[in-house]
Order: sequence, then C-alpha cells, then structure tokens
Amino acid sequence: MNPAVRLKELRKTYRFAKARRGLLGSLAGLLHPQFTHLEAVGGVSFEIAAGERVAIIGPNGAGKSTTLKMLCGVLEPSGGEASVLGFTPWKERRRLAYEIGVVFGQRSQLWTELPVRDSFALLRRVYDQPEDAFARRQGDLVERFGVGALLDQPVNRLSLGQRMRCEIVAALLHAPKLLFLDEPTIGLDVTAKAAIRDFIREQSQAEGQTVLLTSHDTRDIELVCERVIVINAGRIVLDEPTEQLRRYIARKLVTLQSAAPQLALDLPGVTRRPSEPHTTILEIDTRATRVDAVIARALALGGIEDVTVEDPPMEEVVHEIYAALHP
Amino acid sequence: MRSTPPFIRRLSDGAGAAGAAYRAGLAAALAQTPVLLGRAVFYGVCLMVLITFWDKVAAHRLPGTLAARLPAGGLGTYVGVTEWVTLSVPAVHFKLEDDIRAGALEPHLLRPKSYLAQTLAGQAGFMTARLVMLGAAGLLLLALFARTWPSVPTMGAVFTLGVTGAAIGLLLLTLVGLTAFWLRRVLPPMLIVQKLAFLLGGLFAPIAFYPGWLYRLAWFSPFGAHLAFAGAAIIGPPSWTGFATMLALQSFWLAALTALAVLVWRAGLRKTLREGV
Repeated sequence: MNPAVRLKELRKTYRFAKARRGLLGSLAGLLHPQFTHLEAVGGVSFEIAAGERVAIIGPNGAGKSTTLKMLCGVLEPSGGEASVLGFTPWKERRRLAYEIGVVFGQRSQLWTELPVRDSFALLRRVYDQPEDAFARRQGDLVERFGVGALLDQPVNRLSLGQRMRCEIVAALLHAPKLLFLDEPTIGLDVTAKAAIRDFIREQSQAEGQTVLLTSHDTRDIELVCERVIVINAGRIVLDEPTEQLRRYIARKLVTLQSAAPQLALDLPGVTRRPSEPHTTILEIDTRATRVDAVIARALALGGIEDVTVEDPPMEEVVHEIYAALHP
Repeated sequence: MRSTPPFIRRLSDGAGAAGAAYRAGLAAALAQTPVLLGRAVFYGVCLMVLITFWDKVAAHRLPGTLAARLPAGGLGTYVGVTEWVTLSVPAVHFKLEDDIRAGALEPHLLRPKSYLAQTLAGQAGFMTARLVMLGAAGLLLLALFARTWPSVPTMGAVFTLGVTGAAIGLLLLTLVGLTAFWLRRVLPPMLIVQKLAFLLGGLFAPIAFYPGWLYRLAWFSPFGAHLAFAGAAIIGPPSWTGFATMLALQSFWLAALTALAVLVWRAGLRKTLREGV
C-alpha cells in the first residue's frame, strides 16, 4: 500500500537581503543587493502510513512548521521530493486541499461575526460538497464533538475551547483523508485540552484518518500520536514510536511556593531542580509517580502558598534526546 | 445523459462558493447593524456640513452657466451621491494587509477556492449592505434638507452608475491591499489612491469644474468611473447615449482592474509560495 505521506531529501533554504548600514549602504543595497541564506530544512526524509498518527516535534526554529507548510502545499521547497496522498503538494495545492483538513491553533478558519452554522454552510460550498451527504456528516461530527448548542452562536462569542472544537469540526466537514494539526491545544485549559485530544484520537480511529501534529505540549504527543519525529536544526534527529520516547516526554515540572525555605519530598521518579529559597522545583517522571500524588504529599507537609504544573520546555526535551543519541 | 464538461463544472462550483461568500459577507454586515447605523449617522454629518457649504458657495460665488445647470440644491445632492459611493466601499485593503502580513493567508491557501475571489465576494456582500443602508439614509436626508427627490429614471441611472462605481472603488482598494506582498504596509499607496479619488473622482466638486484637459483626464481615469459618473448623473440626468457611454467606460475599468488584480495576486502568491509568509 502506498504511504499517505512520503518525503525524500526535502530541503528549504530561505534567502534574505542583507541590510547595510547608513544612507549610502541603503542606496548600495538597492542597486546591488546582497543576500544571506538560511537553511530551514536540510534534507528531510520519512514516510507516514495511511491511518498513522504522527507528531513532529522540535524547538522553535527547528524546521517543523516549514516542513508542514511544504507538505500542505503553501511553501515550495528548494529541493527534494514529497508526495501527499499521491499529490505533489506545491504543484497540486488546490486538488490536495479537497483531501486534507488543517487546524492552526492560533488562526481561525471560521467567520468571527457569523454563527458557527453559517461558517459551516460556507465551507460546504468551498469544498463542493453535496448538500445531503454534508448535512449527515455535519450532524455526526456535531454530535461527536458536542457542539450542537454552539451552532447558532457567533464565533466571536465562543470560548477558546469551544472555538477549537468548532475549528476541528470545520476541518473535518469535507471528510479529509489527512489531518494537519498545528498546536491544536495552545492556550486551552486542562479540561479543554483533554477533550480535544480525545476527540482527535477517537475521530482518527473511527475513520482511519492519518494525523500529522505539531505541538509544544508533550501530552498532545503522548495521548494522540503513536509515533514521534524529532526535528532539530532542519534535520531529523529521531523517528521512533511514542512508547520508546516516553522516558523523555512523560515528565512534568511542579513548582511549589512555600512558607518554609525548603521542602523535603522523597518520592520515586521525583528529582529536585536548583531553585531559590521558598521555591521548590520538582521534575516528575509520570511513569513512576503521578502528579497528583506529588501535590498531595506537598500539601500534607503544610505551608504551601502556590502550585504550578507545566511541561518541560520542548527545547530541553529535544536537547536530552539529542544528548542521549550523541553522548 | 451527457456529463457537464469539467471547465463548466469548475466555473459553476467557483460561482457557488463566491455566492456563499457574498451571502456570508452580507450577513456579517447585517450582524453589525449598530456599526451600519453609525456609518449612516457619519454620512449624515458629512452631508450636513457639505450641503451647507455648497449652498453658500452656489448662492454667492458661482455665477454663469455651470450654476444654472445645477438642480435645486445641486452640489449638495452631488456630494450626497459621491459620499454614498465612497462610504459604501469596505476597507478591503486593510483586510488584505492583515492577512498577508500576519500569515492569516495560509489557512485560506489550504482551500480549493481562490482566496482573492472569495475575499472580493465577501467584501461585495459587505458593500451591498452599506449601499442599501446609506442609500436609504441619503434619501431621508434629502427630505430633511428639503430637497426634491430626483425623478425615477435619474435615480435608476444614479443607482446603476453608483453601484458599478463602488465596485470599481473596491477593486482599486484591492490593488492597494495586494501591494502588502511587497510593501508590507499599505497606508502609503492607500493615501495616494484616496487623494486621487478625491481629486480625479470629484468627491467634493464635479470634475466639470476643471479645465478641459484635466476634465478629460479625470473622465477617462478609473477614479472618474469610480465617483464622477454617478455624481454627473444626479447633476444633469444623462441621455441614454450618455448613460450607455458611462456604463461602457465603467465596464472597461471593471474588467481592466479585475485583470490587473488577478495578475498582481498571482505575482504575490508566487512570491509567498517561494519565500513563505
């Protein structure tokens, strides 16, 4: 069976005009511009099978968004080959558009002033969907994602979590075979994040959709994807099943502010990071100890003034993976 | 049974999507009725000032044949028409600038229909709501300022030339917006186009006041087709030939500006696909 996505030595180099100093420099720049080149993606190759859910992760500027844009067809590569569902994305962008669904966490594809229902109706015409089949599919998705009560509300009155659920429904309305998700849970609260992850995973399993996801949230990767591709400095560092990477991504950072200068917490899988007095930063291996168990133990000690739970920065995760591969 | 040729099917699908975008734009404008009403009030304030000004000028400073040609309260009514067209054109240039600069273009490029066609159709929907609202406000203001309403044929000519002129204005601002691919900020070209529309379009005074060579330059420019034709129709109801000539010239500018917008869009799109947003 042909893979859903196939990349071979895909490269992208951006070219920028050099800014020169002073008025004369600016004039010289107009007449004889000089350019610098920045390699964003330096020969990336991988394949994704139909129905697979894959995360592309990496620090900021690693080249993951550039790779995703080339796969969607909105950026031409400098070299290499790619095939997405049998299409060359940058040459057959519009034909490919019928087959893919895209969600950008920070950008809306819905009309903000209009009720959600009207945006969906517009998308039916944009994707040339027959009315009956579209209505049935919209009904199914609306039920699955629980957005029935939101349909008649203007998009600009929805909460971020509600809007994101509607965005995902909008991306799925034309029954795409492949779903691109760029930071789909960014800015959401914990409950909304969990709901979105469940919806994406269940939807993909139900319809056999291929999912390609980028995120800075390691829980998105852990709970949605079965495979992780790590990109750093425009190159693939690692391509492994998620299970193999769990030791790197199954971690949380818990920061405790306390009346006491130091807290003594001795639990398996919990290590203390250097910190100021009255602040305790704990790194938790969630395979060994659950976050709630750590917080419960800390609260039992008394004098806790504040608690923050967060993911380790993606830069750090990638650095550790890189360090483990190149000791 | 013969199937529809692919070209016809694509055309029909494109028109269907543009129609849906037009309806969405219209609905979005109507969803902001207070904004529309605010614009109508602003239109009223502009007219009040300009009608008062031109009535005074016409009474004391405009002797001769030109003044004699004007209908009762002529210049005030003229400005009412040109302002109706100007204020009805939505700020498509700022939307284009936002989308191009902030990267909001990308989600649209991931759809199978043309972003430019969809945007223009949506903005045309917006413009329709404004034309209707400000048109009604204009007629009300005419009554308030004790002006006689034009005859039905004159209103028909003003309506046709005004709506087509507004479409030309939308295309001019679209071209301004598309410069964001290269300039990033569209304010400088917008100011140039705006001032040219004021001067060559005859926003505040008929271009018939200009010397012959300047009058001809304005008449044959897209700015004349944008504003001056509808204004001219209210000053002196045109003959059928005059009306047909103005409409033909407007049609030419509509086609030329649309073709230019498509060319500029394609060049900008090529740049974006090559260099990224």
